[in-house]
Amino acid sequence: MKTKKERSLYPVWFVLPSLIIFVIFFLWPIISSLYYSLTVWNFDTAKFCGLDNYKLFFSEHSMSSSVVHTLIYAFGTSALKVVLAFFIAIFLTSAIKTKGFIRSAVFFPNLVSMMAVGLAFSYMMHPTKGLLNVVIQAFGGTAIDFLGNPSTALISIIMTDVWKGLSISVVIYIAGIQSIDKTYYEAASIDGATGWQQLKHITLPLVAPSQNSIIILSLIGGLRSFDLIWAMTGGGPGFSTDVLASVIYKQYAAGFYGLSTAGNVVMLILISVIAFPLQHFLNKREEAIQG
Amino acid sequence: MKKKVVSLVLAGAMTLSLALTGCGGGGSDSGDAPASDSGSGSEEASDSGDSEGGDKQFEGITLKWWGGNAENNAGTQAVMEAATEKLGMEFEVEVNPGGSEGDNILKTRMASGDLPDFLVYNSGSKLHDLNPSRGFLDISDWDIIDKFDDAFLSSVTIDDAVYGAPQSSTQAGAVIYYKPDYEELGLEVPHTWDEFLDNCKALADAGKTPVYFTGGETWATQVLFLGDYYNIAAKNPDFADDYTNGKAKYADVPEATRSWTKYEDLVDYLNADKSAATVTDGNFAIATGEATHWFILTQQLPLILENADNPDDIGVFGVPGEDADDHGLTVWEPMSWYVNKDSENIEAIKAFFEFYYSEEALDLYFETYGANGPSCVKGYELPESVCNAVRVDMQQYFDDGKTVPALEYQSPIKGTTCEQMTTAVGLGQMSGEEAAAMYDDDCKKSAVQLGYDWE
Repeated sequence: MKTKKERSLYPVWFVLPSLIIFVIFFLWPIISSLYYSLTVWNFDTAKFCGLDNYKLFFSEHSMSSSVVHTLIYAFGTSALKVVLAFFIAIFLTSAIKTKGFIRSAVFFPNLVSMMAVGLAFSYMMHPTKGLLNVVIQAFGGTAIDFLGNPSTALISIIMTDVWKGLSISVVIYIAGIQSIDKTYYEAASIDGATGWQQLKHITLPLVAPSQNSIIILSLIGGLRSFDLIWAMTGGGPGFSTDVLASVIYKQYAAGFYGLSTAGNVVMLILISVIAFPLQHFLNKREEAIQG
Repeated sequence: MKKKVVSLVLAGAMTLSLALTGCGGGGSDSGDAPASDSGSGSEEASDSGDSEGGDKQFEGITLKWWGGNAENNAGTQAVMEAATEKLGMEFEVEVNPGGSEGDNILKTRMASGDLPDFLVYNSGSKLHDLNPSRGFLDISDWDIIDKFDDAFLSSVTIDDAVYGAPQSSTQAGAVIYYKPDYEELGLEVPHTWDEFLDNCKALADAGKTPVYFTGGETWATQVLFLGDYYNIAAKNPDFADDYTNGKAKYADVPEATRSWTKYEDLVDYLNADKSAATVTDGNFAIATGEATHWFILTQQLPLILENADNPDDIGVFGVPGEDADDHGLTVWEPMSWYVNKDSENIEAIKAFFEFYYSEEALDLYFETYGANGPSCVKGYELPESVCNAVRVDMQQYFDDGKTVPALEYQSPIKGTTCEQMTTAVGLGQMSGEEAAAMYDDDCKKSAVQLGYDWE
């Protein structure tokens, strides 16, 4: 209880402005949504109905498949970004001539809005007129119905997401790689380490903090992703690319406000349940490597 | 420095090319949206306003309205221009994307009190869903109400309040087909589903695309299912009531299950781009004979005719059932105009609608745009210029009394993911029986939200 005696340097209410903003715009919505998820409400009235919304949400026929799709999407995009971005970052930090140009080129997709990317790609993936299929057919292949076939629809969206989202990961990796002290590499090469060994035993461990940020950021982004999926397939064909967020959106659009609020609470819990332990684990690993 | 310039230029080029790709696809939809027309018209009108004065009593008022591309058509625009000429008010349109996207925007705007002066939306069960007393004006004391037939009025009346006025004529959920293909192969209009499938087979053998399917715009895939309601009702006259009370299920009533399994029969007869094709593509495909049949609302007829060489190339028949002697048509009441009850310009809107349902304006509308089906203004005859598909093919069903209002006018309950399911069955990703059972669950959810006690 040492802190009690120590007089704080600043009055406590310096915190007040940000506290007010935090309470009004973050804390209050979360608490009120917890309440509304237990009601049937329609902007004017709210009728308490206990856990009925949660029961209904979990009995939704597209529910289990949408959880699976959400997890595939989140882990798929995250894994691809972590791996691909690492090699691109390695390439971009090596001694190449047009480094500045290629770095910008890699970053370009990120400047375009998600909706525009989604629409552009869905035109390119059109089963008969799309650019990709025109090319495939020109080389004698058979057209692929990227977004219309349930078995390729989700993977097509994942690829688009990776194309667009890769650049942020690359930038974080580049920052991480450049902050590694050059003396390690010098020492290693004097000891006769090959390039591969240097990569494996110096770069990879020392870039772990950046890697952890990338994993967490892209995973959370993937878990709550909605805009790209909505722009490209609207959760279709049928329900084959429905993720949690799109199921919730459709319920909201149908006017089932209580139900969709409950869905949002479920999603918040799911993200927390995955993200917090993961972060904890990754931090442990980071300490172990560097400790 | 140099690097920065190069990267900036490249970034620009890349964004631009993406933006262009975007426009290329959207162009066909938005190209005919004439927001700019009415915009420029309004400027001229306000400039010349002083000199004319007089009976243009609503000079200087701009009415904002919201509707889909199908409603913001040449006919509506012609009538609005005539109204500007006559009454002085100007119009500004916001185009609504339609489908569940449009529903969502409307619901949100209604809840936040951000409605335009008047707008177009469905009548029937979807109007019930909106809880219209929250945002729409009860117009039961307006004189125009007396002009509409009872079938229409019942679709926009909730608890004795009348909210809507018909935007256009009635329409049907039916098969629109390309007649030259029928003539070429010597086919007859089918009166049973089996005859229809035989025709499809003959067309497929002749290398044609028998049926067009628009998986890229999911609402349109429901039309086979919804338009088949005549055949359900023919065998089960009480289906609508039993269904509303939770007694009749799609999975249990054989004719109702059949509405879903009909999709399975068509899987092999669809267009190659069935998963991505849009309604705009469909208009073009039927008009040019790229495909022969299309299960669609006849509100598309005027849009199809815009692309067709000869209006007589296009015909309509009802979704065939089992009984050749009872081949009927499932009829939709038109979309309706609704008035924002908080609008500041209610007098101007009222004057506009009085004009809208005058013989002069109705003729102007139907001559400019065409009709989707017989009109629901009592005693009004469609002008001669309206195509034969409406005045002969469809009128025949009305004259024979072989029409039934679609289920959404007889029951407030409609499953909310209907369009996703019809798309999935149509693309062969799910069996018809499976979908029927799933749809029953979906309807149950909607019934519970509307306060029905289903068990």
